[in-house]
Amino acid sequence: MKIVVCVKQVPSTNEVRLDPETNTIIRDGKQSVINPFDTYALEEAIRIKEKIQGEVIALSMGIPAAEKILRDAVSVGADSGMLLSDRSFAGADTLATAYTLSLGVKKISEVDLILCGKMAVDGDTAQIGPELAENLKIPHITNVSEIIEINDSEIICRTITETGKRLVKTKTPVLLTVLKDINMPRLPSIDGVINSLDAPVAVENAESLGANKSYIGLSGSPTQVVKTYIPERKNESIEIKGDSETKSEKINSVIKEVI
Amino acid sequence: MSGLIIDSDACRGCGICIKSCSYEALEMKDKKAQVNENCVLCGMCIESCPFDAIKIEKEKTNGIELEDYKDIWVFIEQNDGEIEPVSYELLSKARELSKERNCSVNALLLGEDISKEADKLFAYGANKVYISEYEILKDNLEEIYVEFLDKVVLDYKPEIFLFGATNFGRSIAPRIAARVKTGLTADCTILEIDEESGLLNQTRPAFGGNLMAQIVCPEHRPQMATVRPGVMEAVKKETNTKEVINIDMPSIKEPSIKILENIIEKKAESISDAEIIVSVGRGIGSQKNLALVERLAELLGGKVGVSRPLVDVGWADQKNQIGQTGSIVAPKLLVTFGISGAIQHLAGISGAETIISINTDKDAAIFTVANYKVVGDCVEILKSMISKLEKKCEKEQVV
Amino acid sequence: MNNNIIHCMKEDYIEYLRDESRTIGRAESISFPKNEEEIIGIVKDMYSKEIPITIQGARTGLAAGAVPRKGHVLNLSKLNNILGMRVDSEDNYYVTLQPGTILSQFKEKIKLRKFDTTKWDFKSKRVFNDFCKKEEMFFSPDPTETSATIGGMVSCNASGARSYMYGPTRKYIEKLKLVLSNGDTLTVERGKNFANGRKLELKTDEGMNIEFKLPKYFMPNSKNASGYFVEDNMDAVDLFIGADGTLGIITEIEVRLLKLPEIIWGVSCFFENESAAIKFVEEIRSNQKDIASIEFFDKNALDILKKQKEINPGFERLPDVDEKMKSVIYLEIHTEEEKEALIDLKKIAKIMNDSQGSSKNTWVAKNDVGLNRLIFFRHAVPESVNMLIDERKKENSKITKLGTDMSVPDEHLEKVIKMYKKDIIKEKLESATWGHIGDNHLHVNILPRDNKDYDKGLNLYEKWAKKVTELGGAVSAEHGVGKLKSKYLKVMYGQNHIDEMIDIKSKLDPKLLLSPGNLFEVGKRSE
Repeated sequence: MKIVVCVKQVPSTNEVRLDPETNTIIRDGKQSVINPFDTYALEEAIRIKEKIQGEVIALSMGIPAAEKILRDAVSVGADSGMLLSDRSFAGADTLATAYTLSLGVKKISEVDLILCGKMAVDGDTAQIGPELAENLKIPHITNVSEIIEINDSEIICRTITETGKRLVKTKTPVLLTVLKDINMPRLPSIDGVINSLDAPVAVENAESLGANKSYIGLSGSPTQVVKTYIPERKNESIEIKGDSETKSEKINSVIKEVI
Repeated sequence: MSGLIIDSDACRGCGICIKSCSYEALEMKDKKAQVNENCVLCGMCIESCPFDAIKIEKEKTNGIELEDYKDIWVFIEQNDGEIEPVSYELLSKARELSKERNCSVNALLLGEDISKEADKLFAYGANKVYISEYEILKDNLEEIYVEFLDKVVLDYKPEIFLFGATNFGRSIAPRIAARVKTGLTADCTILEIDEESGLLNQTRPAFGGNLMAQIVCPEHRPQMATVRPGVMEAVKKETNTKEVINIDMPSIKEPSIKILENIIEKKAESISDAEIIVSVGRGIGSQKNLALVERLAELLGGKVGVSRPLVDVGWADQKNQIGQTGSIVAPKLLVTFGISGAIQHLAGISGAETIISINTDKDAAIFTVANYKVVGDCVEILKSMISKLEKKCEKEQVV
Repeated sequence: MNNNIIHCMKEDYIEYLRDESRTIGRAESISFPKNEEEIIGIVKDMYSKEIPITIQGARTGLAAGAVPRKGHVLNLSKLNNILGMRVDSEDNYYVTLQPGTILSQFKEKIKLRKFDTTKWDFKSKRVFNDFCKKEEMFFSPDPTETSATIGGMVSCNASGARSYMYGPTRKYIEKLKLVLSNGDTLTVERGKNFANGRKLELKTDEGMNIEFKLPKYFMPNSKNASGYFVEDNMDAVDLFIGADGTLGIITEIEVRLLKLPEIIWGVSCFFENESAAIKFVEEIRSNQKDIASIEFFDKNALDILKKQKEINPGFERLPDVDEKMKSVIYLEIHTEEEKEALIDLKKIAKIMNDSQGSSKNTWVAKNDVGLNRLIFFRHAVPESVNMLIDERKKENSKITKLGTDMSVPDEHLEKVIKMYKKDIIKEKLESATWGHIGDNHLHVNILPRDNKDYDKGLNLYEKWAKKVTELGGAVSAEHGVGKLKSKYLKVMYGQNHIDEMIDIKSKLDPKLLLSPGNLFEVGKRSE
């Protein structure tokens, strides 16, 4: 089975702070890591490979330095990585990113299964999975909490829905987005880290992928960020005063408001 | 060519933009800021520049006729014939927005045997209800739904299309957005019409809520957004027009995904998933008072959490413990009684949305994180809250 | 005295009678002062009534130093402001803070550079602005329990895993302000006042001279937090670090920060037999650079963790350890360049493969996310043992964990580990061992099932204290002596030297009111 795992490079923390002098936003966490949600997809792919054999390819779109996270993916068990990197990919929203990733999947070719994390911790959109599946014209299942049976042509898995759980059967090729309950990702061994240094990581650009310029990067992105700001926090707490009767009355009304 | 443009005349070389960049994509050359290949066009530097020297330029490439698109559409999600409350919230929001766009609010209702629900949709703000009733729509299957939605966009050309950010909404909305090649903004918390451009301003949290981003979709239609349940308010108000329009079935292939089993279950039992938690600490005094806390939690439909000292003395079970060594919780509402707020405990509740804390010590550390601070006797307040809530329950039953 | 400040010991305050050692004490009153003035008021009041005072921080100590015997509890957790910042000519940054500051919060503030500077003076604010532009810094002492207060850490000269590279808290304390038992205040600053041989002269802020002889003992040549720090021509500030609250009440601390290394990687190395693990440690210690910590966990500790993981939702996300593995060595690499770290990693692999291990049986964390998982794992070990003991304590209140905190010089590591193992097996006791093996400093924890086990454990403890002293080691390497280990301090130094310590105390605390029971029993002088 040929499995592609989509991974994104994200900063290691989501903290933002204000520069005390200039009052501008500074994002901390310059260390970049694999989006934590994607590590569950990666782990699941490796487990499938260990169970029924196959090949795991980690796929990412990003800046040249994102090659590092593809090596990280290899260090825990992926066979190779593919990085889609080109200045013309910059500024992509989810639609343009999904289009670009779909070109990568097509380049890899004959893919049976695509695994994605539930969402990225920096964007929180959870849109790439379904959008990528649509670009590839294959079905997708979101919120997979367990893969129960799998072979080259069929997968039975459990998903979480609004009202409970669902057991579904799907033919391959298919794209699944997985939840963190699905497994416990492993850490690499020293041998894994050392081997990943020489692992094959292909780098593709817009031209080698044959990308349509109007579907990639900023030009291919229908949405635009107009502004960003740090939300105001209620740091002062409101004190509820009075005798016990008044207090409880007021607390109850606050509760009513909240729920 | 699209990209980040730094106006070298306006740039004073102050270096503020370099600090604002998380991708090390800006550097100083000859006392001017310059962009390198690391740039992902996140736009963070634009806001930071005191001299307005940075902008993102974008070629216009899309040739669609924006004027052809009109009306605000709301996708009505049903599960087993029951409409998800978020759909009503979206309708009410759409009604508000429609006033500024001077357009109709159209509800798209898909399901099996679902037309009986149409009246409710009018009550919350729909002007028209577009409906399709087929057995294949009973289960929310993306492969089938996307064909219906595609048909709607093609035939009716909505200007704005809103979805609830439920599990299904977050799965189907991107699927259709990619199909019709338009923009989609996830999990919006604020939706408003821009006075000048008439565009839908979509504001959403990013970076785990540490940053808010305002997003528009200027050249593509429909402008699509998902909205998390509970963010907007559902407001009942009758409308005059009550038009129901039927939509025919599009051509649909045999789906490759089959449902083997549907298990309907209540939300998970553990406190880490609870929406409402009443938590209690050593300040509750005696073990017998725990019954009061349990009663209050029951009345509020929540779960009981405890701080570590109660587990240590054996009054409560470890599984209910909140904090570093217990569960990390993120409820909508947390009411704490007699919890002083040891740092290990605070680490476990940082995800709570609203915290109401009751404690005798006015300097208790818990008050530094509480939204509502109540200094007073826990047991007295508990008893009084319970009796008030119980009375209310009785009243409602009588009515 | 103002009754709003001093509270009667009601049931509400019952938790302030205990600490992480699970010892429960007694007291008549408690206070939570918010500034030095309040402390002075309380102390003067107690001094006139001759009421003993036990000083508390976050009560995370393991030696019962914060557990009161009687009298007043002075809880400093509300004295937790960060007061200012300074930089020296060599670009070292210093932060002045109050003793109730919590370590984890302090670390977070340094990391995010989020300090509330509204009440800082102009100079501090200016330094802070520069600090924000500098490379990331950190406060290196890292006790596993990060909810400790900095005041508590100073009082027991806390260490932690990274002290293998960076040394204990002592090294990073520049200045202390103290309130003495009579209400006078004393400021000691590093580099300003040295002893003359073994004679030290102090001058209080009020201008009083206090002169005394320092004890004559020599401190062990290993990691040490046992009793007063003394050596020839010592710096006065060192006397008050690790003094267990017996000399004065710390009200202000200046700490020194270090530049955070660019690369911090964690490596957990699993071994199928313990002697291979020890051999590995010795090899790493003599041949490997860039190592900031070397930690050890034995099979029993892993088994207890596994059991707790099954029942405790908080531990659910811990990675599983292969059943075959008998011990774990955790290493942390601190260096400036990734290239160097990779070379280090290759060398570690070689050393591991040469010492009957396999570099395949390792977990590597190359970023904060992975590192946090390994650190959580490390923290979960003592937590899970404590939970197990708490369960047993519910059935039998006498039972507490008997945890050792002894260190020996390098050459005796293997010898003491063998001794611990042999004695535990011989006495048929249950145990779990982990700790800072790089500093030859293991926490051997005896986990009594009944009173008989408990007594046997106590006997072993005393035996080990004697043996460790013979080998030139310390009975407490980082937890401090507190009340639980005072008898072992006596084993280590003998009553004569204990008397010398009491002499110092009686110069600074003539009515012997501060933290009675910590370090020594003042009533039991040999004369």
